[in-house]
Amino acid sequence: MGGVLPRNWGPAFPRHATPRKQILMSAPVVELSNVRFSWSVDSPIVIDIEALCIANAERIFLRGPSGSGKSTLLSLLAGISRPNEGRLQVLGQDMATLGGAARDRFRADHIGFIFQMFNLIPYLSVLENVCLPCAFSERRLARATKSGGSLQAEAVRLLAHLGMADGELQSRTATDLSVGQQQRVAAARALIGAPELLIADEPTSSLDEDRRAAFLDLLFRECELGQITLIFVSHDASLGSLFDRVVSFAEVNRAGTSWLGKPAGRP
Amino acid sequence: MIARLSIKSLRNRKVTASLTVLSIALSVLLLLGVERIRHESRESFAATISGTDLVGGARTSPVHLRLSVVFHIGNVTNNIGWESYRAIAGRPEVAWTIPLSLGDSHRGFRVLGTSADYFEHFRFARDRRLELARGRVFDDEHDTVLGADVAEALKYQVGNSIVIAHGAGEISFAQHDQHPFRIAGILTRTGTPVDRTVHVSLAGLDAVHEDASYGADSDPLAAIIREKHQTSATPRAITAFLVGLKSRGTVLSMQRRVNEYPGEPLTAVLPGVALQEVWEITGVVEKSLFAVSVLVVVVGLSGMLVALLTSLGERRREMAILRSLGARPAQVFALILGEAGFLTVAGVLVGIAALYAGLFAGRTWLESRFGLFITVSWPSAHELGLVAVVAAAGILIGLLPAYRSYRYSLADGMTVRI
Repeated sequence: MGGVLPRNWGPAFPRHATPRKQILMSAPVVELSNVRFSWSVDSPIVIDIEALCIANAERIFLRGPSGSGKSTLLSLLAGISRPNEGRLQVLGQDMATLGGAARDRFRADHIGFIFQMFNLIPYLSVLENVCLPCAFSERRLARATKSGGSLQAEAVRLLAHLGMADGELQSRTATDLSVGQQQRVAAARALIGAPELLIADEPTSSLDEDRRAAFLDLLFRECELGQITLIFVSHDASLGSLFDRVVSFAEVNRAGTSWLGKPAGRP
Repeated sequence: MIARLSIKSLRNRKVTASLTVLSIALSVLLLLGVERIRHESRESFAATISGTDLVGGARTSPVHLRLSVVFHIGNVTNNIGWESYRAIAGRPEVAWTIPLSLGDSHRGFRVLGTSADYFEHFRFARDRRLELARGRVFDDEHDTVLGADVAEALKYQVGNSIVIAHGAGEISFAQHDQHPFRIAGILTRTGTPVDRTVHVSLAGLDAVHEDASYGADSDPLAAIIREKHQTSATPRAITAFLVGLKSRGTVLSMQRRVNEYPGEPLTAVLPGVALQEVWEITGVVEKSLFAVSVLVVVVGLSGMLVALLTSLGERRREMAILRSLGARPAQVFALILGEAGFLTVAGVLVGIAALYAGLFAGRTWLESRFGLFITVSWPSAHELGLVAVVAAAGILIGLLPAYRSYRYSLADGMTVRI
């Protein structure tokens, strides 16, 4: 990882410009009420959440062991799957009422994703990877163009922000980067076009402690700047103290305890 | 965007993609090549004789008459009398006739006894007449005019002398060496059996067989000639004749008239129908060739199917990433289908390019080796149709991996557990 990044993110951790109380009182970005989901009629209930509310610009740490259904919840939030019962609102939009294509468009317009590993399209360059979400969302393309002057310029700006200003680095293919660099590119891709919601699924699991700290620092800073709501999913409880709120998935998901440690009941 | 992703993805797998394109290109090359040669050989075949309305000869099977007179394959065993020929030639509906006399050879090439009318009226291809490359047509019984292949193969020049032999074999022990012929002219290449023919006058041929110093025991024709000897100015017998009519409408009645000729049993055939019938004999080979090339196309496209299907497993994560970015399952479907389409179209185009390169490079060889004139022309509607079928089949085959990737992307969502 580049030397420009702080090795110890703790003391340098930026404070929120918005007071906590104000955040928690603002309109929720995500709101779940009595949401139940199973993969098929015969399979067990995987998600059973009575209530979960995430406020605008909130940084939430969703903690739970592997196989507890966290990824399933993310699929519901992203509109890949639809709840069987209950109300699931993202940015005021009831996801259950949208059709498949509309949910895909909603995801492209409003949600950025970072995954654990192998985040990037291997045959595209770093810049092309970063610009990719705007190929599926005109809204994000418009925002990115407005912010940076052009899509390319905005991608370069975001990469520079994330410590990847080197032009040669930006033209490399994704597979030529280190894991840490790949995660930063994935972050830039998730942030381009300023989506309102950023979902990070175990993004630091493959990073060592120093790189993890630097990566989180960058992520927080960007979310702060764009007033982006961050849902950070991990099984590593030690990170929880860095977030506005820690939600134990096992506690909110009433269906979770019966199949802990097993694959999430997917077909 | 989907198209750009498709192309970049293929570039990322360029070895497999190139091999797939190559296998499709080779199969298209074979298919079109076989079709082109098939078409050209049919054209060449149909071009063997043109403008002749009837071919007449002694009573024999029509196919036998066609093969021996038009293609110089096999021998006609019976002759027809000169009087019979003159009687038919004198009919009012007849525009011209050409007498033909076969049976001798020169170093493996057929000798054809005929009259000067042959050079005047014989037509091949689309009404093309025989032309001399060098020299002149024969004007006495000592002259001969050679087909292009004969002159080239035996390295003959105008002015050389040759001796003809009895029978059609390459090696003959019955040489008519008492009566040498002088090469008067050499014809331009026609791509027909004419190229492999030694033309002499009927009088010259008779003179050979009349030669008293030659033993009648080994030359049956000489014996017949001697037996029926009249004057050496007119031939006693010919093998066959070609007839051109003033009006094509009289061809069937003329055919019947020849078939029912009271003087001696004769057979008349229509050369066009004859060509069609003979061509049909080779039809099985033709169809088998086509079937084999279709199978090669199937193998080529199957290669693509295997390549695309095996790559899908590795690409599930890629599809999941695209889904997380907002790609719809239909777009994932289009991505894979687009790749199949691109590979097929690229294969077809490379195949066509290779065909034309091959035609340009190989036409001289095909012409000299097989007498096959290949005209390098734009693809015919039939060929374009074949290519369209191959392209459509490729895209159709692409539906399978595209559908699988669609199912994967629906089932996997944004996360892949492999």
